[in-house]
Amino acid sequence: MIGFELSDEQKQFQALARTFAKETIIPVAAHHDREESYPEEVVRQAHEVGLLNVSVPEAVGGLGLSMLDEAIIAEELGYGCMGIYTILMASELGIMPLLLAATPEQQARFLAPLLEGPKLAAFALSEPNNGSDAGGLRTRAVFDGDEIVISGTKTWISNGGIADFTVVFATYEPELKHRGTVAVVVEHDRPGLSCNKLHGKLGQRASPTYEMVFDDVRVPIGNMLGEKGDGFKIAMRTLDKTRIPVAAGAVGVLRRALDESRAYALEREAFGQPIARFQAIQFKLADMKIALETARWQTWHAAWLADSGRPHAEAAAIAKAYASDAAFAAAQEAINVFGGYGYMNEYPVEKLMRDVKLNQIYEGTNEIQRVVIARHVLQ
Amino acid sequence: MKIITVLKQVPDAEARIRAGSGGVELDGVTFVIDGMDEYGVEEAIRLREAGHDVEIVALALGPARYEEAIRTALALGADRAVHVETDVELDPIAQARVLAEVVRQEGADLVFVGGKQADWDSAALGPALAEVLGWPHSDWTTELKLAGGALEVRHDTDDGQESLTLPLPAVVTTQQGLNEPRYPTLPNIMKAKRKELAKRSLDELGGAQPLTRVVAQEIQTRERRGRIIEGDAASAAAELVRLLRDEAKVL
Repeated sequence: MIGFELSDEQKQFQALARTFAKETIIPVAAHHDREESYPEEVVRQAHEVGLLNVSVPEAVGGLGLSMLDEAIIAEELGYGCMGIYTILMASELGIMPLLLAATPEQQARFLAPLLEGPKLAAFALSEPNNGSDAGGLRTRAVFDGDEIVISGTKTWISNGGIADFTVVFATYEPELKHRGTVAVVVEHDRPGLSCNKLHGKLGQRASPTYEMVFDDVRVPIGNMLGEKGDGFKIAMRTLDKTRIPVAAGAVGVLRRALDESRAYALEREAFGQPIARFQAIQFKLADMKIALETARWQTWHAAWLADSGRPHAEAAAIAKAYASDAAFAAAQEAINVFGGYGYMNEYPVEKLMRDVKLNQIYEGTNEIQRVVIARHVLQ
Repeated sequence: MKIITVLKQVPDAEARIRAGSGGVELDGVTFVIDGMDEYGVEEAIRLREAGHDVEIVALALGPARYEEAIRTALALGADRAVHVETDVELDPIAQARVLAEVVRQEGADLVFVGGKQADWDSAALGPALAEVLGWPHSDWTTELKLAGGALEVRHDTDDGQESLTLPLPAVVTTQQGLNEPRYPTLPNIMKAKRKELAKRSLDELGGAQPLTRVVAQEIQTRERRGRIIEGDAASAAAELVRLLRDEAKVL
C-alpha cells in the first residue's frame, strides 16, 4: 500500500498557505530583503490565520500539525519568501525540543502562551567557534541549588532577540563532551541575557539573526528539558526532524525559480521567437522540473517517516541536502534564463539564489548531511 | 433563521483548460470553490457576526470531488453541509429543481447563490431556483442588510443600481463587491473536519433529468489580424486614419 494523495484538509492547508504567500508575503518580500527589516505585519497575519507555531500540540490548545502538514505549508511560504518563512520555521525549531523532551507541565507553561499572539520561539545551539561540532559547545550551565546559571555566547540564532523563549544548549561538564550537555528553556526577560542583531547577510534578510550573550543568566531547574546529559541528544533528534521543513522551504524556492523562468522564457524574445522555443532554455526548465518533483517526494517521504514514528534521520538529511542543493542550482539557472535582468534586484530570481544559499548551511551544513548519510550507508 | 449557501466546485481560474472531442478536459485540473459562491458564504457569516441568530448550511449538487469545496465552505464558517452527490451533468433548470427540494425540506429562510458559475457562465441558477421556489429574488447583489425580517439589498442593473426590499424567504445571487471573503484559517480548517456533511442522492429528491444536452464545446479564441501598414510615415499615418475611420469605425 502506498498513497500519494493529500487529504482534503491538507489541500486546504496548501491553498491557504498559497494564498497567504501570494497576497501577504510576495508583495512585501523585496522590501524587507532590501531594508533587512523584520516583517512584523506578515508575522501578525500569519498568527491570525493560524500559520504560526502549527506544531504546538492540541493538548495545550495548538493545532498539533504533522511534519507532512508542515512540509506542505513550508513549500508554499518558501515560494513566497524563504527569508520570511525562516522566521516561522525557526519558531517551530524552538518548539521541537519541547515536543520531544518536555513534560506536560513544561509544554503547558512554555507552549500555550505562544498561541496568544504573534509570538516566537528560538533554538540556540551554534556558537562563535562551534557550529556543526555540537558536542564541543562552550556555553556553560552551572547547577546552583534549584537554579541553573548559564554563561556564554550563542550566535546565528534566528529569532534570538525577539523570541519569547529560546532553547539553549550548554555544557555542565565539558570533559564529558556531548554527554555533559543540557537543554534549557530561557525566557527572554531573564536578567543577564542580551541580544545583538547581526547585519550583512547575503540573503534571507527579512529573518532577523542574533548573537545572544548569556551573562550568568539564572533559570529555575524546572526549565531543563529531559535529564542532565540529554542536551546533545535532544538537539540531534530535533534537527533530524526540522531539516524536513528546511528541505520543504527549498522546494518552494525551486518551484518559484521554475515558475519565474517559465513565465519569462515564454515572454522574452530573441532571434525572432520566445526563448522558450530554444532547447538550451527548455533543458534548464526540464532540469528544474526533474529537481522539483524528486526533491518534493523525498521531502514528503522523510516527513511521512517522521510522522509514522519510523527512523527518519537519513531520509531527512537526504531531503535537506538534495532539495537545498537542487534549489540553489535552479535559482542560479533561473538567473541564466533571465540573463542580465536576472542579475538585477528588480527581478525576483537573484533573491532566490541568495536566500536558498542559507538552506544549504543552516540546521547542519550540507557537508554534515553527507556525513550523516554516509554513516547510515556504512553502518 | 436558516441560511443556505449554494456552492459549486470549478476549475481554478489559473488552470489551463483544453477542449477535446468529449468537451472540456478536466484531467489534472485543480478545482476550487467557485469564487462567486464564496461571497454568499462570507455574507452569511457576516450576518451572524452582525448579531443575527443564523444557522448556515452549505449545499452543493455535483460529483464526489465537490467535497473539497464543501470542506472549504465549512472551514470558512458554515455550520454543516448537504451534498447531493451525482455524476449526472445537469443544466441550471434541472439543478434548480433538485436544490429547491432540499431548500424546502430544510425550511430555509434565505438562499445565497453565486452570481454566475465560473465553469459555464450561465448566470441562470439563482433566478431559476427563485422561480422554482416561487420566492422573491435579487440578482447581481452588491449590498445586503437584514432588518425586521426583510432584506434590504442593492443590486446592479444594466444601467446602474437599484435598491429593493425583499420579504423572506428569498433568493439572493451574489457577486464581486458584496464583500471581501476571508481566508479559512488553519484552526477552522481543522474544525471543519468534525462538522456534519450529509450526503443525499438524486433519487431521494425525486430524481432529475437534464433538460438540455451538450452537443459540443469549444474554447473561444480571438484571432488577431496583425495587419502591417507599409509605406513612409506620412502615408502610413494617413492609411491608419482611413482604416480606423472606415473599417474599424472608431474615429
